Amino acid sequence: MLTRFLGARRVRQIRRAFRHGAVTFLCLFLTVVVLRGTIGAGKFGTPQQDFDNLRHHLNSHRRVLEEQNSEKTTATTNNYVTFDMSTILVDEPLGKDEITRDPNAPYTLGPKITDWDQQRKRWLQQNPNFPNFIAPNKPRVLLVTGSSPKPCENPVGDHYLLKSIKNKIDYCRVHAIEIFYNFALFDAEMAGFWAKLPLIRKLLLSHPEVEILWWMDSDAMFTDMAFEVPWERYKDHNFVLHGWNEMVYDEKNWIGLNTGSFLLRNCQWALDILDSWAPMGPKGKIRDEAGKLLTRELKNRPVFEADDQSAMVYLLATERDKWGDKVYLENAYYLHGYWGILVDRYEEMIDNYHPGLGDHRWPLVTHFVGCKPCGKFGDYPVERCLRQMDRAYNFGDNQILQMYGFTHNSLASKRVKRVRNESSNPLGVKDELGLLHPAFKAVRLPVSSS
Amino acid sequence: MGLDNLSAHKRTSAAALPTTNARPRSAPRGRQIQKTFNNIKITILCGFVTILVLRGTIGVNLSSSDADAVNQSIIEETNRILAEIRSDSDPDDPSDNDTTFSLNATAAATFSLGPKISDWDQQRQQWLQQNPEYPNIVRGKARILLLTGSPPKPCDNPIGDHYLLKSIKNKIDYCRLHGIEIVYNLAHLDKELAGYWAKLPMIRRLMLSHPEVEWIWWMDSDAFFTDMVFELPLSKYDDYNLVLHGYPDLLFEQKSWIAVNTGSFLFRNCQWSLDLLDDWAPMGPKGPVREEAGKVLTANLKGRPAFEADDQSALIYLLLSKKEKWMDKVFLENSYYLHGYWAGLVDRYEEMAEKYHPGLGDERWPFVTHFVGCKPCGSYGDYPVERCLSSMERAFNFADNQVLKLYGFQHRGLLSPKIKRIRNETVTPLEYVDQFDIRRPSTVRSES
Repeated sequence: MLTRFLGARRVRQIRRAFRHGAVTFLCLFLTVVVLRGTIGAGKFGTPQQDFDNLRHHLNSHRRVLEEQNSEKTTATTNNYVTFDMSTILVDEPLGKDEITRDPNAPYTLGPKITDWDQQRKRWLQQNPNFPNFIAPNKPRVLLVTGSSPKPCENPVGDHYLLKSIKNKIDYCRVHAIEIFYNFALFDAEMAGFWAKLPLIRKLLLSHPEVEILWWMDSDAMFTDMAFEVPWERYKDHNFVLHGWNEMVYDEKNWIGLNTGSFLLRNCQWALDILDSWAPMGPKGKIRDEAGKLLTRELKNRPVFEADDQSAMVYLLATERDKWGDKVYLENAYYLHGYWGILVDRYEEMIDNYHPGLGDHRWPLVTHFVGCKPCGKFGDYPVERCLRQMDRAYNFGDNQILQMYGFTHNSLASKRVKRVRNESSNPLGVKDELGLLHPAFKAVRLPVSSS
Repeated sequence: MGLDNLSAHKRTSAAALPTTNARPRSAPRGRQIQKTFNNIKITILCGFVTILVLRGTIGVNLSSSDADAVNQSIIEETNRILAEIRSDSDPDDPSDNDTTFSLNATAAATFSLGPKISDWDQQRQQWLQQNPEYPNIVRGKARILLLTGSPPKPCDNPIGDHYLLKSIKNKIDYCRLHGIEIVYNLAHLDKELAGYWAKLPMIRRLMLSHPEVEWIWWMDSDAFFTDMVFELPLSKYDDYNLVLHGYPDLLFEQKSWIAVNTGSFLFRNCQWSLDLLDDWAPMGPKGPVREEAGKVLTANLKGRPAFEADDQSALIYLLLSKKEKWMDKVFLENSYYLHGYWAGLVDRYEEMAEKYHPGLGDERWPFVTHFVGCKPCGSYGDYPVERCLSSMERAFNFADNQVLKLYGFQHRGLLSPKIKRIRNETVTPLEYVDQFDIRRPSTVRSES
């Protein structure tokens, strides 16, 4: 048709020109794209930015919808589900009376104390109302645990933290142990898994009446409510961790011990080991470099920044003469029990054994290492982690509920059923495990009647 | 130059002409086809290369790649599990809807918390004598058990669980400082008495299982301790068995449904309390009983909206209708905030911190700040969310500051989760312990 207007030759020329143009254009386009992919093209962006923009664009549709919903009532919405928590929390800048550490000085947990044992002894003598032993062979124990003060990224993370602290409250009530739940980051440089060090030191120094400090991770649960820690066994030791001597001292295996659940005596030795433990902790270059050292020196350790557990393995393995005689690596019971090998056997345990054993037959602690229920991603599938945490929680809770005549319908069920009828003689009925008035909770001190 | 042009022009046009005219008709067909093929080949090749490069760089793909598929499935699975966890359904339970609705009006008469006990005081006395290692008075203080709880499933929104966690930490702190044991209830012991009524069977159960406990203190999960120093003046209640925050004129003259508050109250462990619980429970059973009772309560109490019977209104009605039977052992406390309604308190925290000091427990420094109506565990509250949550955060931090003082830290602001150091580390920490530890006698401590 065009030939009629322009002439055949013209048409061919135009077509040729088009072809050439198309090929040129195509090649130019390919070049630009490849260049963007490789070296980026400044304000024309990079592919990563494209991807982010696309994602942002798609998400913003949803957000706009949500905002429109709440825009009707703006600041007066009564709906919790669409509310954004971060609009409330205010991160104020450095206050005028805030004390900060000199960033150039080498890191320390605090000024060196050398006479803590004497200071503490004098204090205990002056304060007979706060004894460090609440019964013969029973030291005053403070269980310390904690989590971040901001809401969990995972929507059910806080619910599992709540169940976990209830589980600890139950065990500690039965065993006359006090609890400190920490939300505070005492030292910004020692963030993450290292945050427990400044916290532990601060608590030891502020609570001289506490004889043993028991650190427990928030993802660890008590599964044997009847087991009492054999305090007598550790009377000559200051640091009790779950682990194996060969794996720490001979193999230098990075999981030779576990710092998710351990006992530390309140004494000068403890302050010293905390001081020796801390140097690998400060965030940034120090922690990264230390991580490389630890991966090199320890067996099977993956590559990541220094963590407190690997640092302790390294410390004990290299300075055994200094610390080893006061460290007890316990493996006769599960002061820390890796969940992977325990959670599927709960029914078998119920059939064959009974609470009070604390070991592989009925673990004291089931520790959900790697599950990270408060974060978005853990090392294991979400379903397995959350379901098993429910089972472990119910397994422990059954031992508490049986005191009152109830039990969960099953290890997976939130519902409870009655297993012991109400009686008009309630004091004649004893609970099976004897947890209502156990011997280890009895008051042995003189009771004043004022 | 002009000649050159002309000749050039002639040449091209001369060259042009023969090509148009001289090409035979049949051969162009073959060549055209070949040309077309070549074009197509080039087009396909270029298109292919383009797609490859684009996939490699900006990841535009028509079929999702492996990484995306995995992410997608993780997200779907997580959502499915969350929905399952949040639902009330159980894997093994048959639906028990039928059983609850089979209750009829006669159930009210037959419902009981348990078999009637009439000699609990004697039983308890005997037990205490036989078990001297479990006394009901320790170091001159009566043994108290704090009972609190929340529903067993996750809140309708994640913020709710976060504030439940902060609330229990707040209670743990107060109770550690005052030697009080805590029971956190996450189970519905009695399906009929679910919701706010769930505390009744639990209180009874705990009283009977723990004769060594002198006082059971129920506290709602939305109530926060805001005075960490204040100690309950138990000697005031020697002749009483139930301590509630409330006002006599609101109760007896106005018959208001908020004359007392059952969000924070004390029950002595004795026969009288068991009897009161038995008298209190009948309005509770879920279903027609509770609905009918709700109507009665709305008709009789001032200001009460129409909804099913709740434990607070039921108790008020009981105290009013059977005044002679119960009131002589009930103490209506209003000299300090055993329960403090939050709205009038939360904006004044900074003023309180400047002018007063902890230990007062009253309007100058409230003992308990109770977030009635906020309902952070549900989807909707009676107040704007922002007001509720920011106020709860402020109350929590206000209390936490009193705990952190011993350790030399304070929150950066009442809305900030971060803390700042206000006291240097020292080599003689015990002098600060003497000064700031709340448990030490006040003569040693300096008030600040």
